[in-house]
Amino acid sequence: MIRLTIDGQEITVPEGTMIVDAAAKLGVDVPIYCYHQALGPLGACRMCLVEVEKMPKLATACTTAVSEGMVVRSKGPAVDKGRRGVLEFLLINHPLDCPVCDKGGECYLQDYTFEYGPGGGRFQEPKIQKVKDGPINEFVLVDQERCVLCQRCVRFMGEYVGEGQLLLEGRGVETVVTTVDQVPATSQFTGNVIDLCPVGALLSAPYHHKGRPWNIEREESVCPHCPVGCTSKVTAREGHVIRMEGRPIPDREWGWLCDRGRFGYDFGYHPERLLASRVQGNETSAALATRQVGEWLKTTVEQHGGSSVGVIVGGMHTTEEAYQLKRFATEVIGTEKLAISRSEAGYLPRALNGTFEDIKKADTVLLLGTDPYDAVPVVHLKLRERLLRYPALKVIGIGPTALTRDTLPGQDVITAPEQSAVVMALAMATQRPDDAQVKTLIHDLGSFRPQGVLPEMLTQLGAQLLRADHLVCLWDGLEPAMGMVLAVLADLREKPTPMLPTFGPGNWRGWERGGFSAHFEDLTRILEEARDGVIKTLLVFGADLLEEYPDRSLVQAAFERLDHVVVEGLRPPVDSTQVDALLPGAGWAEVYGTYINMEARLQVAMASVQPPGQARPVKTYLNTWAHILGRPLNWEEDWDPFDDDSGDLLPIETRHVEIEPLTTPPTTDAGMTLVIGSLIWEKGEPSEILLPRVPEFPGRINPQEAEELGLGTEPGRISVSQGDTHLVVGVSLDSRIPVGVLWIPQGVLGVNRLGKGPVQLSLAKEEVTA
Amino acid sequence: MTQHYLLRNLDVEGIDRIDVYEANGGYAAMKEAFKTFKPEELVAMVKKSGLRGRGGAGFPTGMKWGFLPNDGRSRYLVVNSDEAEPGTFKDRELIEENPHQLIEGIIISSYATQASEAYIYCRGEFRRGAEQLKRAVQEAYDHGYLGANILGTGFSLELKVYRGAGAYICGEESALLESLEGKRGNPRLKPPFPAVAGLYGGPTVVNNVETICNLPPLVTYGADWYTSMGTEKSPGLKIMSVSGRVQRPGNYEIPLGTPLRSLIEDYAGGLLPGRTVKAVIPGGSSVPLLMPDQLDTPLDYESIVKAGSMLGSGGCIVLDDQVCMVGATARLVKFYREESCGKCTPCREGTYWMTDVLDRLEMGMGEAHDMEILADVADNIAGKCFCPLGDASLGVLVSALKHFRHEFEAHVAEHTCPMGARLYDTVNH
Amino acid sequence: MKPEWKEWASQAKAEFPRANSALMPLMHRIQLVEGWLSDQTIQDIADLMGLTVQYVESVASFYSLFHREPVGKRVIHVCVGLSCALAGSDELMHNLEQRLNIKEGQTTADGAYTLLEAECLAACDKAPMTQIDLHFVGPVRPEEAETLLTKEVPS
Ligand SMILES: Cc1cc2nc3c(=O)[nH]c(=O)nc-3n(C[C@H](O)[C@H](O)[C@H](O)COP(=O)(O)O)c2cc1C
Ligand code: SF4
Ligand code: FES
Repeated sequence: MIRLTIDGQEITVPEGTMIVDAAAKLGVDVPIYCYHQALGPLGACRMCLVEVEKMPKLATACTTAVSEGMVVRSKGPAVDKGRRGVLEFLLINHPLDCPVCDKGGECYLQDYTFEYGPGGGRFQEPKIQKVKDGPINEFVLVDQERCVLCQRCVRFMGEYVGEGQLLLEGRGVETVVTTVDQVPATSQFTGNVIDLCPVGALLSAPYHHKGRPWNIEREESVCPHCPVGCTSKVTAREGHVIRMEGRPIPDREWGWLCDRGRFGYDFGYHPERLLASRVQGNETSAALATRQVGEWLKTTVEQHGGSSVGVIVGGMHTTEEAYQLKRFATEVIGTEKLAISRSEAGYLPRALNGTFEDIKKADTVLLLGTDPYDAVPVVHLKLRERLLRYPALKVIGIGPTALTRDTLPGQDVITAPEQSAVVMALAMATQRPDDAQVKTLIHDLGSFRPQGVLPEMLTQLGAQLLRADHLVCLWDGLEPAMGMVLAVLADLREKPTPMLPTFGPGNWRGWERGGFSAHFEDLTRILEEARDGVIKTLLVFGADLLEEYPDRSLVQAAFERLDHVVVEGLRPPVDSTQVDALLPGAGWAEVYGTYINMEARLQVAMASVQPPGQARPVKTYLNTWAHILGRPLNWEEDWDPFDDDSGDLLPIETRHVEIEPLTTPPTTDAGMTLVIGSLIWEKGEPSEILLPRVPEFPGRINPQEAEELGLGTEPGRISVSQGDTHLVVGVSLDSRIPVGVLWIPQGVLGVNRLGKGPVQLSLAKEEVTA
Repeated sequence: MTQHYLLRNLDVEGIDRIDVYEANGGYAAMKEAFKTFKPEELVAMVKKSGLRGRGGAGFPTGMKWGFLPNDGRSRYLVVNSDEAEPGTFKDRELIEENPHQLIEGIIISSYATQASEAYIYCRGEFRRGAEQLKRAVQEAYDHGYLGANILGTGFSLELKVYRGAGAYICGEESALLESLEGKRGNPRLKPPFPAVAGLYGGPTVVNNVETICNLPPLVTYGADWYTSMGTEKSPGLKIMSVSGRVQRPGNYEIPLGTPLRSLIEDYAGGLLPGRTVKAVIPGGSSVPLLMPDQLDTPLDYESIVKAGSMLGSGGCIVLDDQVCMVGATARLVKFYREESCGKCTPCREGTYWMTDVLDRLEMGMGEAHDMEILADVADNIAGKCFCPLGDASLGVLVSALKHFRHEFEAHVAEHTCPMGARLYDTVNH
Repeated sequence: MKPEWKEWASQAKAEFPRANSALMPLMHRIQLVEGWLSDQTIQDIADLMGLTVQYVESVASFYSLFHREPVGKRVIHVCVGLSCALAGSDELMHNLEQRLNIKEGQTTADGAYTLLEAECLAACDKAPMTQIDLHFVGPVRPEEAETLLTKEVPS
């Protein structure tokens, strides 16, 4: 630790700390443009000049590491003159078009100019003219004249993300930030450069000219689209959400967002947004519809008892809303049949759950079926950051496709579909053949050897799993048996084994906290009971079961049999023919509430706008129904999902995982196997802003396969058949997908019509010619 | 005049060929070095000789070599042949006319520093220079002076010639290393210094061509011979490139400490008849002007600093009484604007601004407060840039504003350049 | 992409195996034959080097000797450094502009010449200095503009 003095205040900081960060700890604000802690020192803008005793010249606080006994002055005539000089330089070629700049009021150039001057300009020569409002892609615009060449954006994209789609072109005063030949940047993370840009050079295209600081409101929020739950800020103007920004949390989050999350904020205004209630397909008033549903519930309970009602929660509902539903279900209806709408069957006990802090220490990362870039993008950035700081990081992917990538290189163990858990268990058995739990796991496997995985690979994998000091596992939840295997792994390892579930829905842990079962079997049981006539009325909050549940036919059968299907949500389900009542719900940014992310961390999202039309909070519906059922609910004691002892993390519970023998996976016969994956663009509520970026060809096949199918080397549409079911999907070519595998992300419409087992592919007949 | 040690090409025709070079004692120093010296003895000898870097900063070469950490990593020697400092043209003559001398110096220096790979970073414009070097390097390989186990000594060295592509900043050692790694030539943050983390992150010595060319004579004649020339703190020989308004522009090898007047009059043939010295830029375009009353300043590192300038790279530009100082200054400052890498604000924007003001002044469109603006802009650049290029742009300007303020004022008052807004003086040629 | 570029790329990579050090040598070699580096060439070089096109473009645009616009058969650089200016390089440039009917930075309509400024060429003893295709030619007095244009240089 190093002791130094800044502006007369003493502070002790770790060796290697830059003056600017030490100053920040003391609350001393040193102005910066180019410096960003995540990106490291650059020393380009020269704004952060400070005086350091015994140094002949002013020093840049962002590049000067602290040393013992150092005496720093961040103010004074020399410092002020130096900073004023740098500002004046930055302004001479700046267009000074603040009145029409989106960044006005949120701009470091304005702020520092206000603080340090210069008051007027001395520069009379012509300014250099550059590109204004040039596109970086669909979402980001660049105004090269306003750019201060701090390189934050270029360094972020190139070094940090590893997708150098922005570049510095030219030299000296002619240098500009640009893309090559106007080829749009396609990275998942381009929007972050808007937040990173300290001036108005990089702008959000959807927000362009939409608001000024004095007519907008910014509220703290959390991105609702995936289980990462990135901390964000929502900008609203006149009752509309018009922007989403990242929200850094000191020492924890940089405030990165992926483009899906940053620009997909307009789902609340989607043309399909449910604004009026519908009963039996007919629009009606909110009061009538609510009453009608109340009457159905009353009759059902009277005739068949409380347990003939099932309640399912999904979508973007908050933890508090789940809790309200749970109270309504148990106290008013008298049913325990509560489940979460899910697509993945896996379940991770809270006791095994790690946090993002674990990634910062990891030496080995295990990707189980999940490619973080596609599924939980900002986690990919966290892994990138770890890789940059710790280049020896080992990344191991296990799954039916390759999971590591150029920007996160590692080793892939490609298993046959549905065999990852078996591979893991066999790998562990190479190291601990005598462990009782391991023995149980592999008890029924006999002499089964996974296809394509050599014995040496198993041994090597087993050794890596058990020996790594800081192992972090990310799991997509698609092979439920993996849950057991992971529990055994955690027991075998002497060191902690933090795991991060990358499966959704985003707030499943929140609903669990609110009292809903997150176990997939419970959801299945409810659907089965509905199909079998035990459950008569189903309340579905925020879910489109027909599309989400992996076995569509079960949902179909249940809906056909049910007396009443009541669906609340932001949008009607894709197919609502079986839905008896549709109730418009209030959603994210419209209600205050808590989300719990994949770290089991509780985060609060504020309400920014009023729900539109007839959309109303869950509680409003519940109150009416409770009244009709004659058991009004008392909400007086406000429930708080936070736990006093564990702070903003969920309390850790003891875990019980029954270890059972793994079953020998079905040997796949020749033919294509369908693998369902996860792609953030196909998840969550639809957005019009995102349309140009939502992949037209979300499926993936190996280029060789494409060749054989007659697709050539271009993406195209193929027809996928299984028995009588046919589905047309756009596929792109991806060499990370093995031959014999068709990869389709969840959320692609109708994919859950196809079940397990082989599929046949052919070129789609009506090739769409755009 | 004195015997040539570095510019032997002036005395021996065809010395760029290996046979001629060897016939005239070439590669003997290298063999001597292998035979009689341990590497650390060579480093000690260079320290004792007091040889200082000839690239501009004058840093003691032996001390620089001593900074290499002893951590077993393989080391690099990088020779800076990016010579682009206006007024300097010595390295070009050295590589074009006597490349083997440099190669011999590189072998000795690499042996001394135990570098196993050496690179010559050759300025992109030096097409012939690079060709000469490549040919000579091949000759040296063919003679077994480069490659594995040189002359059975067990010492191995690979030497490669790399060409820049037009960027003055790549003369700055860390920008040079970036460029050599195939990147934009932006200077690097220091520390770490190249000795610790240089080329490809390895320990690296960067030396100027002329510095390295000193090694063969140094080994041949010894440190005492070297210190017998020059001054106590600036021993030895220096090549001065003289250009501008003199009768015999060219490179001259002088003992350090030779008076500036002698360089101009005895070596470079003096000025044209009837002309007088207006000012001299003694060490390349980055250093402040010396005035006519300072012509007796000895050309050694300390004396020139005392006189308010620097020896720099030894590019001596002589300006006579027919030169417009505003025009000359504008021309030099424009160079820095063209060559600023653009990474840091003061250099990028400041040189742009100063150039525009100077151009305006030279064209007679200046205003009274322009000199204040120039001085203040210069002050806002001074000491605040990422690398020394920004400061380098100020040397001539600041001293011109001090000594020739009347010329600037005359441009403003007369709304024109009193000398006709041209630097060419037909009477002269 | 010309077939021989692949070979050149592997030669460059063999000579400079570390970092991206083979990039500039390859660009030099290709430009020597092609005269300039077109967008397509930059793309090809990126492919040959296994680098992104953005990276290659960024590097190429930093160095003044890499031409990103087509150039004439002969590229003439006139040094505008102070020593050359003192010896008449501005006048030489002016005469060349007149004679070729183009401005500095431009290429003649017939594609014969490109006229460019050079910063100090490190040949101030032979001011005013010029280069034809990077071969030094000097001193060239302003009135000798015409002879410069037809001067023989090694290929
Ligand atoms: C802007 C700038 C340009 C430079 N150009 C050159 C150059 O062309 N040749 C050179 O040898 N050194 C040049 N230098 C100095 C080098 O950074 C470095 O100090 C030198 O190569 C070290 O060699 P030496 O110790 O042998 O002098 C330059 C420095 C700066 C800041
Ligand atoms: S665009 Fe913004 S972030 Fe990028 S370099 Fe310019 S000022 Fe910095
Ligand atoms: S913040 Fe320190 S130089 Fe930019």
